[in-house]
Amino acid sequence: METRRDFLKQLRRASLAAMAAGSPQLVRGNDVQHPKAKADTCILLWMGGGMAAPDTLDPKHYEPFQVGLPVKDVGSTFPAIDTAVDGIQITEGLEHLAKVMDRGTLIRSHVQPDLGHILHSRHQYHWHTGYVPPQTVAAPHIGAWMSKVLGPRNPAIPAFIDIGQRIEGVGEQEELKAFHTGGFFGTEYGPFLLPYPDQAMNAVRPPEGMTPGRFANRYKFYKDLIAKSPVGTQGSAYQQESMLRAMDNAHRLLSSPERVAFDLSEEPKEIYDKYNTGRFGLGCLLARRLTESGARFIEVTTEYVPFLHWDTHEKGHTTLTRLKQEIDQPIAQLVLDLEARGLLDRTLVVVASEFSRDMIIEGVPGSNARDQASSKVDLLTEMKHYGQHRHFTGGSSVLMFGGGVKRGHLYGDTADERPFIATKDPVSVSDLHATIFHAMGISPETAFDVEARPFYATEDGKGRPHLGVFG
Amino acid sequence: MIIPRALILAFYAVFATSGLAQEVDFSHDVLPILRMHCAKCHTNGTYKGGLSIDTREALLQSESVALGEGADSLLVQLLKETEADDRMPQKADPLPSQSTAIIEKWIDEGMAWEEGFTFKESTWVAPLAPRYPIFPPVGSLGSHPIDRFVSAYFTEHKLTPPKPLPDRAFYRRTSLDLLGLLPDPGAVDSFVKETSPDKRRKLISQLLEQSVDYADHWLTFWNDLLRNDYKGTGFIDGGRKQITEWLYNSLLENKPYDLFAEELISPTEASEGFIKGIKWRGNVNASQRREVQFAQNLSQVFLGENMKCASCHDSFINDWKLTDAYGLAAVIAEEPLEIHRCDKPTGQYAKTQFPFPALGEIDAASPKPKRLKQTAALMTSPQNGRFTRTIINRLWQRLLGRGLVEPVDMMSREPWNADLLDFLASHLRDSQYDLKKTIALIISSRTYQSRAVEPHIGPAEDYRFKGPLAKRLTAEQFIDAVWKITGQAPKKVAAKGADKGQRGFVRSSLVHSSYLMRALGRPNREQVVTVRPEDLSTLQALELNNGKEFTELLKHGANHLLDRFPEANSGALVTHIFRHALSRAPSEQERALFASAGTQESVADLLWTVFLLPEFQILH
Repeated sequence: METRRDFLKQLRRASLAAMAAGSPQLVRGNDVQHPKAKADTCILLWMGGGMAAPDTLDPKHYEPFQVGLPVKDVGSTFPAIDTAVDGIQITEGLEHLAKVMDRGTLIRSHVQPDLGHILHSRHQYHWHTGYVPPQTVAAPHIGAWMSKVLGPRNPAIPAFIDIGQRIEGVGEQEELKAFHTGGFFGTEYGPFLLPYPDQAMNAVRPPEGMTPGRFANRYKFYKDLIAKSPVGTQGSAYQQESMLRAMDNAHRLLSSPERVAFDLSEEPKEIYDKYNTGRFGLGCLLARRLTESGARFIEVTTEYVPFLHWDTHEKGHTTLTRLKQEIDQPIAQLVLDLEARGLLDRTLVVVASEFSRDMIIEGVPGSNARDQASSKVDLLTEMKHYGQHRHFTGGSSVLMFGGGVKRGHLYGDTADERPFIATKDPVSVSDLHATIFHAMGISPETAFDVEARPFYATEDGKGRPHLGVFG
Repeated sequence: MIIPRALILAFYAVFATSGLAQEVDFSHDVLPILRMHCAKCHTNGTYKGGLSIDTREALLQSESVALGEGADSLLVQLLKETEADDRMPQKADPLPSQSTAIIEKWIDEGMAWEEGFTFKESTWVAPLAPRYPIFPPVGSLGSHPIDRFVSAYFTEHKLTPPKPLPDRAFYRRTSLDLLGLLPDPGAVDSFVKETSPDKRRKLISQLLEQSVDYADHWLTFWNDLLRNDYKGTGFIDGGRKQITEWLYNSLLENKPYDLFAEELISPTEASEGFIKGIKWRGNVNASQRREVQFAQNLSQVFLGENMKCASCHDSFINDWKLTDAYGLAAVIAEEPLEIHRCDKPTGQYAKTQFPFPALGEIDAASPKPKRLKQTAALMTSPQNGRFTRTIINRLWQRLLGRGLVEPVDMMSREPWNADLLDFLASHLRDSQYDLKKTIALIISSRTYQSRAVEPHIGPAEDYRFKGPLAKRLTAEQFIDAVWKITGQAPKKVAAKGADKGQRGFVRSSLVHSSYLMRALGRPNREQVVTVRPEDLSTLQALELNNGKEFTELLKHGANHLLDRFPEANSGALVTHIFRHALSRAPSEQERALFASAGTQESVADLLWTVFLLPEFQILH
């Protein structure tokens, strides 16, 4: 008969998590070679709702608002501005980003599939998991892949942190939940959700109304009770150990010195103010602090809420004027701060969105996707008509900094005339993920055994990194 | 070398260090290396250079190893060879030096092998027809039919039977397994005192008669399996339909399982939500159109077969072909169904066919309702042994923690005891598909009524049944237990159609999922879920440590309990909580720990401490 002691001995030799029921294993013989990691941390800055490239990072023919102007004559609703890099222009309102353009690579040729009826949640699911929904199994978020394959950088900081997205009480919440998940990897690898960056500290401290003393006592008391419980060691040692380990992990975070990283009030006021353009800006600040403390993957979102923020079905220009103020300085400051701390080389920062937008075309040229603009005119009559109100999947922009990407580099291109489709080096979602995974040291062919079939880090293992973005 | 690196990185939070173990372990150290680098050319029928490493004996016969002399063994020399042409593995990178060192050390130490392990794949062919196995003689576990099979199994494999489960633990486990509810402490006491030899059997029937509680509990299992929920993707725009009322009624009346399946496959308006699947807006991959969802879900839920691969291309992992998946999908198609391979039309059309054609044909020319009826009839045919084996295996998995066949959705794999599976499946058919009878049969066995054993570690091929496993409470069981003790259950049932009969309180299976429930593992029901993860994850633990929902629940629960124990009589309160939560009284030591539980804060902390105990959360 096996004793408990023997069993625990055996447990230490086996991998505890590997034997956990339902936890997928690497596919046997999935003999992939991981590339050498260029970055330790990935920060994804998510422009939820469809960031219009012509009005942000990919200027086209600009026409100011004018009553009677044909909509088809307008490419961009913002004029182009120069950046720190010769030959790269972006649009007005992104002056801070323009100044740090010499630190990053701008991809202008990101393309998405036309899923027919354009739904943000489906495209976002696709972008975040690499798989177009519906899927027969719950696909993990790319953050969960990093958490699973690479593990945490610091055991006290959750490997996958998601900042700024509420998933309760907003539209399409069930759809949002479907990809804000560890998927088949299980909740151990799922996102640690921090919808309000200025309240992030609440997630890592005792619950509201409980003093730290009471909180610590409660746990001590718990340990005492387990020690004294007459049946404490009866039954399954494995399950008990696994449960107590999870409790210890949680308490390690809740009592670690690193948790101060979650507390934005610790930040000097002048720095805090540079980031404080709203929840997104503070999210960038929080991301920086967590990167310094050892997070693995952080997503900061401008938050997807149907018809809000980047999801402009009308009043696009007016809305973007405000949104650009919200993102411009914090992103630039994040890059500068990481650089000043010597962290930029080992941190990959990615600014992306589920697709772009256009004044006229829904989907891609020739698509029969239903036009979802709220008010449709051929000639501009009111300001609310002025903006990018259709979902465009033929070419969007992605900005990358650090993590081994080239500095001051332009990758891919779009047509000068409508349709503004990618004309050079198109980068699919799979390939973009492969590129991000490449920087993080994960092979796009990494596969886990799910229901006895291989499930790959990029769809069917076919994503290929665009090595041209790396220096 | 990917696996060790990934494992070490992924789990280094768990282990500070995990250097090379002092002694080389075959299953954990050696086998992964053999599998990755050697198995392709030297096992299971392929023996390049005449070398087989299928078994220890085969490897010894090859004379490529000298026991106790790793460095002098030909095998190790070939691994270390510097000339690429002569090195093993051929046409591949050399083994990492650490792996070679493990092999060398393994041979040095006598080349230990897992008893019975072989690389040779099982030649098992899962039978389709039902079967009546011969009963083994009565063995040490007793005369119950399940125990006869299990005793014979233990004898054959020289295993010690697990210890019997005491009355108190039996009551608790049975109540939670059958009804999802903590037992009433008074009832447990009387049960323990009762002397009737028949008392366990009587308790089982009595609990099974609590139809509402039974339905409330099993609703969770079936909602997961039939991906039914009360809100979520597709419900708003009519792309998905609930079957809650039909499902609830079916559980309430313990509808025979053949009729249950028939009504799902050849449905009425009330039960059509299952085969309709989810209609997604926009273009979807051909393998996710509703017809193909039908094929995937039917085969997974009722036959324990995975047609997900075969929905796109001929499967690499089992024998299902693309034409099989489309053959079943064609049953529900309104017009001829063009086969798509990897989302590209092939120009060929599906031939309507049941996955096991030996059972009979479906007339492709008949109208859709008739085809569905024929499909239902083939599925529930008394000759379809797979149909009964699959549900038996699921119930066994729920009740004993691990299936007779694993994974539960790969029913073509070999069960650890085919006779037992076949007996139970035939029993279900012979009892007119009465699932409650099957459940009662399993629970009344000495095998079920055993103390939990440790889970199996090592390759699935080496699994041996040693007894039931401890199970973690599901999200619903946990929340129900907390609600019951704290008096904080919601007032209203959200599941339309399930608001029937008398129940003690509104159960968590009947309301919308909450953040806390999701954190504890209630799934998003867009996909069929047949097994939930067993482990408590760190994020779940965090939610239980400082999550708002749980904290508020405990605060209000503390107030509720203080109202009931107004004297600040902490002794009585502590006893009350222990007896309800843990089905036992606190020990003197425990009572002493809680001597000052009289304020809202201290009671909330007491509740927290008890609810977080492994003893509370793990069903032993």
